[in-house]
Amino acid sequence: MVIRNTAHRWGAVAQLLHWTIVVLIIVQFTLAALAEDLPPLKKLGMLARHKSVGITILALAILRLAWRWLNPTPALPETLKPYQRVLARWTHALMYLLLFAMPLSGWMMSSARGFPVSWFGFFQLPDLVPKNRALYEALLTTHGTLALVLGALVTLHAAAALAHHFLLKDDVLRRMLPFT
Amino acid sequence: MSKRAMTQGTPALPAPWLLATAAAVCLAARATGAAAEAASPVHYVLDQAKSALEFTFMQAGAQNKGKFTRFPVSFDFAPDNLAGSRLEVVVEIGSLDTGDKERDDTLRSADLFAVAKFPQAHFSASQFVRTASGFEALGKLTIRGVTRDARVPFTFRTADEHGVAVGYMSGKTSIRRLDFGVGQGDWRATDQVGNEVGVAFALRLTSAAR
Repeated sequence: MVIRNTAHRWGAVAQLLHWTIVVLIIVQFTLAALAEDLPPLKKLGMLARHKSVGITILALAILRLAWRWLNPTPALPETLKPYQRVLARWTHALMYLLLFAMPLSGWMMSSARGFPVSWFGFFQLPDLVPKNRALYEALLTTHGTLALVLGALVTLHAAAALAHHFLLKDDVLRRMLPFT
Repeated sequence: MSKRAMTQGTPALPAPWLLATAAAVCLAARATGAAAEAASPVHYVLDQAKSALEFTFMQAGAQNKGKFTRFPVSFDFAPDNLAGSRLEVVVEIGSLDTGDKERDDTLRSADLFAVAKFPQAHFSASQFVRTASGFEALGKLTIRGVTRDARVPFTFRTADEHGVAVGYMSGKTSIRRLDFGVGQGDWRATDQVGNEVGVAFALRLTSAAR
């Protein structure tokens, strides 16, 4: 498998970034759900992990966007109808946007709460906004709402990929899979 | 106009005998003042509004801070009479403020400070030593009903503010919360909330009549 993208296929780096972020997003939803009903100390630990993973996703998202910039983007199949192209483009654009908006809203929310963010205890990140309870409440709602939007988009994206593979029988899914 | 200003601006010189008397009175006052200082330390109390007692702690890998807003201090102190000096600090634990109500309530709960049972922490010292950078108070620190020896370094300077002797005392130290049982059950773990707690204080003390 080649490292870089070609006009028809995603390269190894793009695939690695895509699937790593998939796994980490699943981890994020899981940690957030688990933290919900925990007593204070355990909740603190769970959310500390959630924040660390979120910062990791943010870093990977930056790498991913840079790599996309430096590589050709495999073209959508010729068979797609115009509305499908528009839908695909918007879904992808919004998912990229959320890869930044989710961790940044979470980071800002921690800063507004007055709980600084650390990356797995290795280093402490600067506060993005000053401590402000009202801002924290607003960001908490925003973070949660964006999570729902991301969940919906990911579901749509995965359903579309499976539809391409099983119904349209094109290579849209396969070109993002290793060893195919 | 200029003539008037000149006569007003130039004070008349007092007679030499008056100057000599004034100087003698001043010297005498200083001498008795110094003697009094050596004999009995100045009694200071806290100016709460202009004083700070803060703490820092590691939470989930990041440094967090908080403060106490009520901590009466009684300090009898004279740098040249350390033997007669005495410090009493009472910290109203319920006044803690980390800027987050949920966290403050957790800190006041039974497994941490247990404020309902131990509403106050105390530091009392009657032994003072001079150090390279200031002084050190050697005393007993009581938190959550546990008393331990503690050494607290501090600097002290005085100022005369509108005729009132004011003392500025500041310093910092660190304590281990688990030494005092602040952290029972799950809270004994130190991976999310560190054992080491930094304490910093900057106090404005005003002299008061005994």
